[in-house]
Amino acid sequence: MASEEASGTAPSTSLYLPSFEYFRSELDEHHDRRERIIKASRDITAASKKIIFTLHRVRQLQAPLPQNVIKGNAQYYETISKQFASVSADLQGLNAHRYARQISGGCQEYFEAASFEHYLTNARILPYDEAAAQVKKLDAEGPGIELSMEDYILGIYDMTGELMKFAITFMATNQALPAISSPAEGGNVSQRNLLTDMRDLRSALESLDAGYGPFAKDVDKKADVMRASVEKVEKALYGLTVRGAERPKGWMPDVEAGRALEVEG
Amino acid sequence: METNRANMTQTGIFEDLQRKIDEDTAVKDQLRDIVQSIEKHDRTTQSILSRSHSTPSSELQPVIQAAEANIQQEVKAIGQLSEVASKYPYYKFNYAWSRQMQDACFSILLCGYLGGLGKGQTNDPLFKIEQVGEIMAVPVNLKDRDAFHLTIEEYLLALVSLIEELARLARNSVTLGDYRRPLEISRFIKDVHAGFQILNLKNDTLRKRSDGIKYRVKDVEDVVYDLSLRGLLPKE
Repeated sequence: MASEEASGTAPSTSLYLPSFEYFRSELDEHHDRRERIIKASRDITAASKKIIFTLHRVRQLQAPLPQNVIKGNAQYYETISKQFASVSADLQGLNAHRYARQISGGCQEYFEAASFEHYLTNARILPYDEAAAQVKKLDAEGPGIELSMEDYILGIYDMTGELMKFAITFMATNQALPAISSPAEGGNVSQRNLLTDMRDLRSALESLDAGYGPFAKDVDKKADVMRASVEKVEKALYGLTVRGAERPKGWMPDVEAGRALEVEG
Repeated sequence: METNRANMTQTGIFEDLQRKIDEDTAVKDQLRDIVQSIEKHDRTTQSILSRSHSTPSSELQPVIQAAEANIQQEVKAIGQLSEVASKYPYYKFNYAWSRQMQDACFSILLCGYLGGLGKGQTNDPLFKIEQVGEIMAVPVNLKDRDAFHLTIEEYLLALVSLIEELARLARNSVTLGDYRRPLEISRFIKDVHAGFQILNLKNDTLRKRSDGIKYRVKDVEDVVYDLSLRGLLPKE
C-alpha cells in the first residue's frame, strides 16, 4: 500500500482536512447557537408555566388582576424578558427562521400565558399584532424577537386548555359558569359566558384551514386536545345542571382522568 | 355564530390569520412544482449514472456525457427554485427542497468522481462545496443575507451518499475486471472518512448517516484485501 502515497501529492489523509476544518467550525457555531436557543426556550417555557399557574388563582373573570398575582408574576416576566434578550441576536435575519422550531416552544408558552392573562382581564382574544408587539417589547434594548403567526395560533390552541381549567375551578366554587357582560356590536346585550366563548373559539379554530406542512401537523395534534377541553367544560356544566344541587359546595368534577391527552409546550 | 364570535374575538382576527396561512400555502404550492421537477430530472440522472456499475471505465464516456446533459436540466430547475425561494425567508420553506438539493448535489459529486463535469483533468476526484455551488449556480453556506443557497449539511449528506455508492462501485468494478478502481476508491473513502472524524456531530441526521461511513471503509478494504491476497492488485 505504501506505493500509493508516492504519487507526489500531499499525504492523502490531510487532503480534505482543510475543508472539514471549515465545516467543523461552521457546524460548531450552528450547534452552539442552537443549544443556546433551546436552553432559553426551555427557561421561557418554565417561567410561562409558572405565570399560568399563578393566574389560575384568579377567581374573577373580566376584572383587573389582584395585586398579589401581579407581584407574584413580575419575577417570571423578568426571567422571560432576560431569556428573550439573551438570544434575540441569534434569531435575526437568516437565522430567524432557521431556529424557529427551537424557540417555538418558548414563544407558544409565553403567548399562552399572555393571552390567558389578557382573556382573564378583558374577556377578549389578544390579537396577533398586539401579541407580536408585546413579544418584541420583551427585548426592549435589542432587536426583538418575532412571534410567528404559527406560534400565535398554536398558543391559542393551548390557551383553550387553560380556559377549561379556569372554568372547572370556577364552577366548582361558584356552582355556575363564569358569565361575561359585553354589549354586542349591534348594541344588544349578548348572552356570553366562558363556555359560549370556548365554543366560539373552537368553531373559529376548526374553520381555519392550516394547509399542509409541519405547521398543519402541529395544528392537527393540538386540535384534538382543544376539542377535549371544550367537552370537559360541557360535561362539567351537564353535571352541574343535572346533579348540581346534590353536590356539596367545593366539590370538583373529575377532570384529571383525561389529562394524558394533553400536549403541553 | 358569526355574531357571537365577534363578541369574543374582535372581528377579523381569524380572517387575517387565514389570509396569512393561505399566502404561505400558495408559496408552498409554487415551490412544490419546481421541487418536483428537480426530483424528476434527478431520477433520470441517477438512472444514467447507475449504468457505471455495469460499464467498464474505458467505455464510461457516453454515460458521463448523458449524465452531464441531464444535470444541466437539474441546474436549470434549481435556478428557478433559487429565484422563487429567494423571495421568502430561506429557512421558512427549506424543508420543502432540502432532500432534493442533497440528491442533486450527490449526482454532481458522483458524476465528478467518474470524471464528468470537467473533473477528468484534475487529481482530486471530489468537488468542493464551492465548486458544487458554481455548477449549480447558487451560493453556498450563505450567512450574511437571506437568499437561496446550498447548505453545508446538504453537501455533507450528499457526500455520505457518494461514499455508499462508491462502496458498491468498488465491488462491481472487480466484477468488470477493473482492479485499479477499488484501490482508488479505498483511498478516497479513507480521506473523506478522516474528514468526517474531525466533525463534532450532534445527534441528528448527519450523525446517523455518517456513522455508516466506517462500515463502507471496511467494505472497500475487504475488496482490496481480497484482490491483494490473490495478487490481483495492479503493480505501479
